[in-house]
Amino acid sequence: MTTRSATPVSVILQKKQHFERDPERLPVDFHDRLYELEAAGELVVQRPPDPTDVVTVPTKYGRPKVIPRGHLWHHKSCGQCGHIPGYSTSIFWVMRKLGYEYHDPRDQTSCTAWNYYASATSNPAAQAAVALRNFAAAYESGYYPLIHCATSYGHYKEVRGELLRHPELRQQVRQVMDKLGKPMVLPEEIVHYSEWFYAMRDEIAARQVRDFSGIGVTVHPACHYYKLVEGDAIYDPDVYQGQRTAVVTGLAESLGAEVREYSTWYDCCGFGFRHILVQRDFTRSFATMRKIEVMKEEANPDVVLTHDTGCVTTLDKSQFAAQAHDRKVGVAVMSEAQFAALAMGAHPYKVCQLHWHSADYRPLLEKMGIDWRQAWAEFEDEVKRLERGDVQYLTWDDVDAS
Amino acid sequence: MASESVLVIGGGPAGLAAARSVADLGGNVVLVEQRDFLGGTPIAENYASITPHLESAEVALGRVVDAVQGHPGITVHLGAEVISCTGDAGELTAVLRSAEGEQPVECGAVIVATGFQHFDPGRETQLYGYYELPDVLALQDLESMLKAGSVVRPSNGQAPKRLCFIQCVGSRDRHIGNEYCSKVCCGVASKEAIEVRQALPDCEVFIFYIDMRMYGYWESQIYWPAQEQHNVQYVKGIVSEILPFGDRLLVRGEDTTMGRPMEIPMDMVVLSVGMEPSPGTRRTAQVLGVAQNKYGFIDAVDLPLDTVSTSRPGVFAAGAALGPADLEDCASSGAAAAMRAMAVIRGAQVAV
Amino acid sequence: MAIGTELQGGTVTQSGTGIARGVVGGSPDTGNGAILEGNAFFKNPAVAGFEDVAYEEKERFFEAVRSDMRFPDYLYGCYECGICVAVCPSARFYDFSPRRIAQAAARKDVALFYQQMQEDIWECSQCFSCVRCPRGNNPGGIITIMREVAINEGMASAKEALEGYSRIVYKIMSTGTQVSPDMLQPDAFPDWGPEVRDVSEHLALWRRALPPETLHTTATSWDVSERTLIELYLIWMETGALDMIRNVDESLHMILEEVMEERLEEEGIER
Repeated sequence: MTTRSATPVSVILQKKQHFERDPERLPVDFHDRLYELEAAGELVVQRPPDPTDVVTVPTKYGRPKVIPRGHLWHHKSCGQCGHIPGYSTSIFWVMRKLGYEYHDPRDQTSCTAWNYYASATSNPAAQAAVALRNFAAAYESGYYPLIHCATSYGHYKEVRGELLRHPELRQQVRQVMDKLGKPMVLPEEIVHYSEWFYAMRDEIAARQVRDFSGIGVTVHPACHYYKLVEGDAIYDPDVYQGQRTAVVTGLAESLGAEVREYSTWYDCCGFGFRHILVQRDFTRSFATMRKIEVMKEEANPDVVLTHDTGCVTTLDKSQFAAQAHDRKVGVAVMSEAQFAALAMGAHPYKVCQLHWHSADYRPLLEKMGIDWRQAWAEFEDEVKRLERGDVQYLTWDDVDAS
Repeated sequence: MASESVLVIGGGPAGLAAARSVADLGGNVVLVEQRDFLGGTPIAENYASITPHLESAEVALGRVVDAVQGHPGITVHLGAEVISCTGDAGELTAVLRSAEGEQPVECGAVIVATGFQHFDPGRETQLYGYYELPDVLALQDLESMLKAGSVVRPSNGQAPKRLCFIQCVGSRDRHIGNEYCSKVCCGVASKEAIEVRQALPDCEVFIFYIDMRMYGYWESQIYWPAQEQHNVQYVKGIVSEILPFGDRLLVRGEDTTMGRPMEIPMDMVVLSVGMEPSPGTRRTAQVLGVAQNKYGFIDAVDLPLDTVSTSRPGVFAAGAALGPADLEDCASSGAAAAMRAMAVIRGAQVAV
Repeated sequence: MAIGTELQGGTVTQSGTGIARGVVGGSPDTGNGAILEGNAFFKNPAVAGFEDVAYEEKERFFEAVRSDMRFPDYLYGCYECGICVAVCPSARFYDFSPRRIAQAAARKDVALFYQQMQEDIWECSQCFSCVRCPRGNNPGGIITIMREVAINEGMASAKEALEGYSRIVYKIMSTGTQVSPDMLQPDAFPDWGPEVRDVSEHLALWRRALPPETLHTTATSWDVSERTLIELYLIWMETGALDMIRNVDESLHMILEEVMEERLEEEGIER
């Protein structure tokens, strides 16, 4: 038909250059049901504290998702706060540095889903009541919930779906909430902290003080972030052409790190909920053989970044025993929150608390231009002040003084 | 007084069959096609050959296109679309819009043959990275290579040594909302597999499937020859994801027959994308006010024995505008719609 | 009826490998036509490692799972595409298959289902990679329900699963956070490297070195307020979550009940 046509290959590559979503093919939006129940007086819907101070991001099936910038209620993670406290601390620290005020509540329990997925010693009504109790606490404070753990995030979305679908469950939970004297509240969006970091990646990069251009990174995406109720996860045409979840990768790219491929990207870490605690042979084997060794072999990264409590724990803690079996391990593990904090100049021990981590992170710090010996000495000095009783706790002022 | 004209919207296989049938029966046809050529998706997407006969698509469709273009009873409007249609069966007024402007067309009946589009694998719920990975293609991409006589990996221009097809991409999937089978992809993939094996005898070819739906003669025309003469490997088990693996691709799945996991390096992967209503079908259905099913295809309201009547009297649909269809389906329903349209303009009510 | 008969007829049985046809306790076919009397995956009770029970009991367990409000959203049908198995971490290291879970449930294969409740369900990682099922099935979710029933019924597999785990159930139910800093003991995590010993040795001090005000705790992950805990106790008691433990770990149940009731009483809260 045409006298001089392009080759099929060039036409194909041209077509594949950019994925554009057909706006007429959007999926059913859970919000329809949410607003219906709100109108019927069954639920309260908590909206972003300041509708003008938000970032809108695209999700897996094209539905836009609204992420508030500030005035956030930090739904902490038991595993992060308990075993990798530099994770939570880095989230707070970055938010403070960017100048967004927040609330770190005591009126918060864990989502209890780690136990639920490990032992099943709970039920949908109990899980929904725990979720709604926490959401009500956030609502009462006026701050908007930001969920630190991917399992809490995934589980709460599951709970939301069950509440929207089953009137008998709403009835049962309502009776409990009435006893607690609390309203039935769901936030308009359930937001994971890594979505906030993704939404703020330009602001974070603008405050970057350390050069990460030489840092090789692999990304492990958390199953409960993007597989469990997948429609809420961020997929951005600008990252992986919209074909994989964008959150951690997008931030690492904004910080100038070199994100490298490996062929088990989609694999779970092997956490297993019960396995990490009582069947660790499985967890160790899986984390080593399906994740760490594969990324080491194919990408040889300086660090693997992930965005969930369980994944950081599993990938980090599984490497020590594997060394004894001469497995090819040895990749530093941290959350992208800690990585971003380091980029913005955070102290590796006072803020990122890397002494709680197991896999050797020191070569990474050296590559980032951080003198970890000196940093450790600085941390030890602070600890001595605590020991002497000069101060009872270290404060944000102490960590920022350095 | 009923108009003697039938408006046919869409110049693909179904619309061509409808136009030709109406004209052969003595009716006048106004054929409207939004593209600037006739032949429809097989021509637009550069199909190499038609399934199952392996005849050149250009040649096969060219015969019908020639018959239509040379027919005294048919007026063809290319680069045109229908933007409104008022009136009742027997006395309808449609408005066409084209580069020359708008013009009214009086007609007694309308046949909608606006077809399908290939499912966009960017929306796939499985993890195939179509837009990320240059060597992941769709059926029609491979068709265009076969037509040009050069099957190569887009990433490096070399011939693939191992290639696979993944079936049911965008079909039979509750998450996407396409619960239907697209009918033709098993046959088309098998046909392309044979063509690849013929063009590249050193290339191993696999087809990963859920069920092979090779109804009727397709079994002996394509499926058996693919296995028996061309050594195409059929594996029951769908690929869950594709990731880069060195300079190749790693596909992962379960070989469900053997009950074992598989991870196989591939040079090229072809996604057997299904059928969705074309934008033209969705738009035209709205312009004409005919009911669509939940997938956006036009509803045939008097199934099973009337395959072409829509919710609006005097408006009929044919081909892939009604749902997934192969070429034979399209030709048959085009002719059936022509008969029903002629019955309307002749004022004869055919009792079903 | 035809389906059941056909499948049974087609069953492969192998003696001597521990696999035998399990025609157990008769087969009260209730007329819905798809109840299998026995099947290839049913293990001979002599080698199964778990107690065999009457067919009616197995049916009752199956019904308890099937009648859960979530079940219709978790199982539609299965066309054996294998995606769930391909992405399943547990399938890679155990003789475990989410596809077999879905198939057993869809076929109402109560004998196999029972075996799965006694063995397979605790191997699942609950990662929910399998929810990508094109049919919309959620094999991991079916397992969540199966586990809940196993706990409620005090099944042997549930008791075994909770062995060595009761400390954690106690922690989460009584404190509202699951893994506390003081759990990081070298003897509990010898495989996690020497850093665990360092943390454990300096725990109180290092917790005080954390700038967030809520993280100075050692026995809980963060400082949970008293009022919050009481509300949590009410939830456990009102929703029956506490009672679920009774059949699998009686002493743990007693301890937790005492802790919670005492606390509620102090607050003057009546249930």
